[in-house]
Amino acid sequence: MRHISLTIRRARHLRQAVFPLAGLLIAFSTTFVTGPQTAAAISPEQEKLFEEKVRPLLVARCQGCHGTQVAEGGLRLDNLPAVLKGGDSGAILTPGDPTASKVLKVVRRELEPAMPPDEPLPAEEVAILEAWIAAGVPWSGPGTEGPAAGQEAIPADMEARLVWARQRHWAYQPFTRHPAPEPPAGLDPAGSREWGGLLDRFMTAKIVAAGLEPSPQADPRALVRRLWFDLTGLPPPADRVDAFAANPSEEAWGAIVAELLAAPEHAEHWARHWLDLARYADTMGYAFGNQDPRYPFAWTYRDWVVGALASDMPYDRFVTLQLAADLVEPSAEKADLAALGFLTVGRTFLGNPHDIIDDRIDLVTRGLLGLTVACGRCHDHKYEPVSTADYYGLYGIFASSQIPAELPIIGAAPPGPEADAFNAKLAELKAAVPAHEDAVRRRGTTAAIAHTADYLLETARPTPRKADNRPPRLADAYDLLQGLLDRVSRGIGSAAPTDPIVGPWVQLKGKSDEEIGSAVAALLAGWGDRPDAAIVNPLVVAELRSPAPPTLRAVAEAYARLFARVAPDWAGGPAAQPDDPPELAALRAALGAEGTALVVQPGEAMQLASIEEGNEHRRRKMEITRHEAESPGGPPQAMVMIDREQLSDSHVLVRGNPGRPGELVERRLPKLIGGTPASRTSSGRLDLARGIVDPTNPLTARMIVNWVWAHHFGRGIVDPVGDLGLRGEPPSHPELLDDLARRFVEEGKWSLRWLHREIVTSRTWRRSAVATADQLAADSDNRLLARANRRRLDWEAWRDGLMSAAGVLDTHTRGGRGVNPLAQDAMHRRTLYTRLDRQDVPGILRIFDVANPDAATHERSRTSVPQQSLAALNAPLVIDAARQVAARSLREAAGGDDARIERLWRACLSRSPDADELAAAKGFLAIAGATNPDFGPWEQLAQAILASAEFQFTD
Amino acid sequence: MNLPRPCHVATVTRRDALLRTGLGLGWLGAASLLETEAAAANAAVAPAPERIHRSLAPRPPHFPARARAVIHLFANGGPSHLDTFDRKIALEKYAGQEVPGTLPTERRTGAALPSPFAFRRYGESGLEISDLFPSVARHADRLLVVRSMHADVPNHEPSLMLMNCGDSRLVRPAVGAWVTYGLGTENQNLPGFVAMCPGGYPIKSTENWRNAFLPGAYQGTYVDTAKRKVEDLVENVRHPFLDRDAQRRQFDLTTALDRRHLAARDHDPQLEARLASMELAWRMQAEAGEAFDVTREPQHVRDRYGDDTQGRQMLIARRLVERGVRYVQVWHGEGQPWDSHDAIGRNHARLAKECDQAIGALLDDLVALGLLESTLVLWGGEFGRTPTVELPQPGTDIKEISGRDHNHHGFSVWMAGGGVKGGTAYGATDELGFKAVDKPVHVHDLQATLLHCLGLDHTRLTFRHSGRDFRLTDIHGRVIEDWLA
Repeated sequence: MRHISLTIRRARHLRQAVFPLAGLLIAFSTTFVTGPQTAAAISPEQEKLFEEKVRPLLVARCQGCHGTQVAEGGLRLDNLPAVLKGGDSGAILTPGDPTASKVLKVVRRELEPAMPPDEPLPAEEVAILEAWIAAGVPWSGPGTEGPAAGQEAIPADMEARLVWARQRHWAYQPFTRHPAPEPPAGLDPAGSREWGGLLDRFMTAKIVAAGLEPSPQADPRALVRRLWFDLTGLPPPADRVDAFAANPSEEAWGAIVAELLAAPEHAEHWARHWLDLARYADTMGYAFGNQDPRYPFAWTYRDWVVGALASDMPYDRFVTLQLAADLVEPSAEKADLAALGFLTVGRTFLGNPHDIIDDRIDLVTRGLLGLTVACGRCHDHKYEPVSTADYYGLYGIFASSQIPAELPIIGAAPPGPEADAFNAKLAELKAAVPAHEDAVRRRGTTAAIAHTADYLLETARPTPRKADNRPPRLADAYDLLQGLLDRVSRGIGSAAPTDPIVGPWVQLKGKSDEEIGSAVAALLAGWGDRPDAAIVNPLVVAELRSPAPPTLRAVAEAYARLFARVAPDWAGGPAAQPDDPPELAALRAALGAEGTALVVQPGEAMQLASIEEGNEHRRRKMEITRHEAESPGGPPQAMVMIDREQLSDSHVLVRGNPGRPGELVERRLPKLIGGTPASRTSSGRLDLARGIVDPTNPLTARMIVNWVWAHHFGRGIVDPVGDLGLRGEPPSHPELLDDLARRFVEEGKWSLRWLHREIVTSRTWRRSAVATADQLAADSDNRLLARANRRRLDWEAWRDGLMSAAGVLDTHTRGGRGVNPLAQDAMHRRTLYTRLDRQDVPGILRIFDVANPDAATHERSRTSVPQQSLAALNAPLVIDAARQVAARSLREAAGGDDARIERLWRACLSRSPDADELAAAKGFLAIAGATNPDFGPWEQLAQAILASAEFQFTD
Repeated sequence: MNLPRPCHVATVTRRDALLRTGLGLGWLGAASLLETEAAAANAAVAPAPERIHRSLAPRPPHFPARARAVIHLFANGGPSHLDTFDRKIALEKYAGQEVPGTLPTERRTGAALPSPFAFRRYGESGLEISDLFPSVARHADRLLVVRSMHADVPNHEPSLMLMNCGDSRLVRPAVGAWVTYGLGTENQNLPGFVAMCPGGYPIKSTENWRNAFLPGAYQGTYVDTAKRKVEDLVENVRHPFLDRDAQRRQFDLTTALDRRHLAARDHDPQLEARLASMELAWRMQAEAGEAFDVTREPQHVRDRYGDDTQGRQMLIARRLVERGVRYVQVWHGEGQPWDSHDAIGRNHARLAKECDQAIGALLDDLVALGLLESTLVLWGGEFGRTPTVELPQPGTDIKEISGRDHNHHGFSVWMAGGGVKGGTAYGATDELGFKAVDKPVHVHDLQATLLHCLGLDHTRLTFRHSGRDFRLTDIHGRVIEDWLA
């Protein structure tokens, strides 16, 4: 597929080469016939030309946008009737008459829209088209009669496409009720169990229909281990495995499931899955050298997710708070404001607002709906019913929202001296920022007023700019500032010529130096000896009189003296006095007050900062971030988003280019999910949230049910998980997905815990991973789930498993600031609580397929590379765990080596060793080298087990 | 042990399994490392449709390749084309004068600044190269100097991203990640994509060799070549406590347990792959240690490269390519060393002196070993520099007015080997060297052609992500046939 992400196009170098036309063409011209050809009438030469030259050209150059999948402008070029019919704007060619054929003008770039848009056709290909048209458009083979079967084009018109897509694409249709398949009559009791719950009936029916038998239920020990890792990301204690193996009843299973679903470890584990989707990290990504890239409070979002899952918050509420916790009615608890971190913990792209909003749009649409909208930044989606207007409707919602300068405090810091010290220091650091801005403003304004004459003169007689378009640098190395030049032009240069203060300047600024003398004289004469203050300010008259300025520069300097007299006192001017004469007060109001051309307002200070001052500004802000991130005693803050005071709609940015605003789009939801207009009195995030969780929007429930399913089975019903769109794969079990999604909303009331229970208590989920030969032959890919998928632990479960085996995993401390994932002293915390710097994800995390924190990730990639094994052999993490496992086994085992080996096995694999394993372990201890006192035979044995496949996989 | 019972007939009995793995029968030292190698090789499949990516196995290109490996010498910071490979006599004519063609760059620039370096013609081709690179110049007849490169903006960050990942702003995979995704790598005991940078990261750090949405296996493996000891160079390559014999005994126990585990699970392919990967890792310990250890080279070879950081890392680059590593990136150093905003004479002279001898020796060796034909060497930065002198501004680090600002409008790169035409200068900048005017080449075109040399069609090397097929060159890029020998 050729994607036409139409970013800014570059003028392309035209191909120089013009190959002589193939002999074919010449041969062809001899059979020249005027008028349209019928398929039957074409000669072998014509057929050869069409098949060898024309069809390949149409396929390679045109059909990407005018073909089976898409018909831009209503034009298809993959079949003869369509070619003859033309597009929305009519016929494109006249058979037999190249000169009357629009298509040739278009490919020669003589007529807009020039085609193909990227790169002109080489001359030899234009010649082929010309010869083909001249010959009357001969066509042979497929496409002669019309489009091939099943190759209906996606409508180009967005409204039509919307209707079309809703009619035909499963994911855009409402849920339908599907009766669950009935088991065949006369099943034996064992077989009928496979038809137990609704879920199983849908699954088993397909397996049976494929002529297969489902694998039996897995061994109880394997099941318990699978369940523990699946629900909590941790290995089961060995005695719990033993207990279930001794009594593998349905009741016992139900009890374990209930226990684990209620455990805080379950919320932690599934929070990590959700954080992948939320593209969570603790830093903003690449930052300038003097910026602190850390998010000091990203963890409050992480902890909120854990808390929400622990309380089984309904999914619709869960989503709503993450988009609009600040807007919901009745107001959310203060602690719930942390939910907004969903929107704000993304990359910041060096502050580029378009990229930041793009990231949020992608997060919300692809992340929550499985729908790709981000293409709309530059062009209408090529396949989906998603337009640029849909994109910029959402854009306005996010552009009307902002992260406030002060994040709200959502909890109390532990009281005490640490908190007091924290607050005192914070106040000091925060005060340093406006203090610096004030100094910059003072310096910048003083310097600008000192160069008043230069500013005036430059606006009246601009210096020719070089190609870099920078304003000139003056002899004293002062760079005139473009922003101030613009203000002078606007505020003074464009004033009325009758203005009592700057009017004279306005009248004089266009004159040549030769004319200035007489023009000033004429003005003075006109004002007379006693000028009327309502017509001209006496101070201006005085400056122009003594002596009269002979050049425009001298006029500008006269004005500069006026500016200097009324410069603000903080910028070197004399302080205003209550008894200032009215003409001085008027002068001050026009030239020296806040908001006048050369007086910079507080909020604007940094715009005229030097590089040095900008660096200092960032440095002071960095101090605050560092303090908040590092110092103890601070209260937690929520990374919220709030509505801006100035709400705004967005223009479509043509081709994504901010310099090319197109049509204005009111803030609204994408048409595909209803297109509801956003509130005019708020950003619209709440409307967006409501539209997403509206039960009539079938995408949300399908997305989350499929996502949960994928994490339980290793693969989604729709695969890949995050793409419910037209181009995604259809679901393997559409009826089941519908049924489960509908029941999730209706019966489960959006409870994720309901959904987990529904799945892990099913027969389907509890099947053995052992495959039969028939299954492998008929369904090697295991789409039918006649067996379970064997799975490798992800990074977090592996690391937590190592610490758990070592007996050092801290399962009591929850939440709080992140810790360094690779630091020895942080090893005891669950991996969830480790910091993630999106700019520098450690190599070992990437090797183990940790999600890329730069985009919503529904499922991680799964690789098998030797670096993973290298880590098992040598990584400090594993070696440290091995030493602690060895120490633990010594501590806990009473008796000889056998007991210690047993402890070791149970700690690592949740089971006792069998006789062969016991013998092998003893044999190993006897021959293992004791070369290093820090890593003796027991440590080596422990590592050998931690490095084993059994440790790293669940059955 | 209560293992799941295998269902189909060709089941190995427990006793068979024990015999096969040798666990019960004097298993010490009996484990064969070679047995599963064939299985691993057979597992080589195209990555896209696979659920589990056995991702680094070599794969055939789209069409016959000219090059099978790439060494990208990254002169990060932006080396001046005007002082190296693009001589501009007009700069002498206009020396000290304001020139009309000044284009917008990052900072303010002033008058034309002639190069402080002399240029000479080299080889039969008579390529003009400055005195900064005498050793590289010995290979003039093998160099394709592209003098008409251009990029999008005059700032390091986006230009690094464009040069390395094909897009200035968005999170996209690096060229090396795309190439290893497309072709795998030839030596399974070494990483397929290695990024070496002495002393720390360049600007934009690990983003320069990221895998982005491609699977993690395709990320570049970073190596800090300021370090000398092998275990410091390659992560997890050596056990901190065990010698090889002791570790071997431990490894044999683990793999014996694994074989038994595997046999009881019907030789599940996923577990087979994991066992194979353990054995690959074992060999990688030895081979990676060896490949990165330049002390195994005779002293006279090390002397030819120069016994310093650049010499060592160029030598490692050669050793990696010799061993079948697909994509090697060699950065000049941490940060942006070639960013000579001031004192370009002094700074460029120092920088070139650091690397010229080593690059020359690398090319010598690639020729002598017959590897240059199949290895594409690419040298360049993220952009070039202005022909006009940079003017000081408060807050910048300029101490004297004798440097050049960034210039993305026109700059030079060179290539050698890998099927490109040597002794050639392609394209040209304007009279002063500000802007590419004759046969301009965008970075996308360079990348499309680089893939072409490796036998990959840049329009067909795609990866499905977020509902669309992504490629390195997005919708851009054209293969420059004129470069191909």
